[in-house]
Amino acid sequence: MNKSIYFSIALVSLILGLIVAFQFRTTSSIESGVPSGREQELTVEKRQLQKDITQLREEVDDLTAKLEEAGKGSSQATDAFTSELLKIRLYAGLTKVEGPGVEVTLDNLAENARPGGNPNLYLVKDEDLLKIINDLRGAGAEAIAVNNQRILATSEVRLAGNHINVNLTKLTAPYKVTAIGNATTLKSSLEIKGGLVENLSERITVKVEERDNIVIPAFTGELRFDYARSTQRG
Amino acid sequence: MWLGLWLAVFGLGVGIMVGLNIPLVLPQAYAKYISVAALAAMDSVFGGIRAAMEDHFDNDIFVTGFFSNALLAAGLAFIGERLGIDLYLAAVVAFGVRLFQNLAIIRRHLLKK
Repeated sequence: MNKSIYFSIALVSLILGLIVAFQFRTTSSIESGVPSGREQELTVEKRQLQKDITQLREEVDDLTAKLEEAGKGSSQATDAFTSELLKIRLYAGLTKVEGPGVEVTLDNLAENARPGGNPNLYLVKDEDLLKIINDLRGAGAEAIAVNNQRILATSEVRLAGNHINVNLTKLTAPYKVTAIGNATTLKSSLEIKGGLVENLSERITVKVEERDNIVIPAFTGELRFDYARSTQRG
Repeated sequence: MWLGLWLAVFGLGVGIMVGLNIPLVLPQAYAKYISVAALAAMDSVFGGIRAAMEDHFDNDIFVTGFFSNALLAAGLAFIGERLGIDLYLAAVVAFGVRLFQNLAIIRRHLLKK
């Protein structure tokens, strides 16, 4: 009788302890955890977000493809612009060029060869250089330089005392005019019967040589357009 | 008498230790039922202590009362849940009132001695 009482007391207290401990743990996990209603809500939300994610991923792929296409287009446009720019710089004389052409050397007549008279007569004048340049241009020269000074549309050739200014740089004799173009055409247009070389040879020494490869440097000065404005837009 | 008390304390300690350490977590949905069952079980235990003090402790009544009270309380809470009434509150109030009554009687017995 007594034994069974103790046994039942032990059993009951054991079970009571178990239940209390369980409830303890469950309660604390509820406090730190998420309520079941909220859980359901979050599950729905999660599913929705996952759907959104897949949708957005597709959108990303789509947009990436579009971007790539656009990038391709823009890189093509950039290439086109770059080549256009290079071409324009070439035309404007802002790049170093090389090619076949002629080299015209103008020098003052040697003193012992002068027939006499005003010694100034036997010096190379700016007009002589201008005539040569003009002739070369007329014969289709694509790039011209005088003593490595590139002749541009804005370049001046001007007598200044004993020297000639080209691109604001003083040049002295002998003057070496280099031109790139069809060498034969250039040479023959200068040396034509009754032409420039024949005329000038009476006063100064002129020598025209064909060259396979002439290097003409780029214009290195400053280009200023303070007054001229383009009338075209875009 | 004193052996029984020590045995109760010992059993309680072992139960709590085991309950805290076994890696079993009951679903949260059952938490309400277990809480009511725990309350009922506590009521039974204090009722048993009171009976022992009044010298009419009956082992069979104690054991059956313990289990039937716990199960009844849990079942009441469960049915209340199904019916949409917070019926477990009734169990909480009933067992709570009895718990305090038992405690009061135990106190009086202890003070009378």
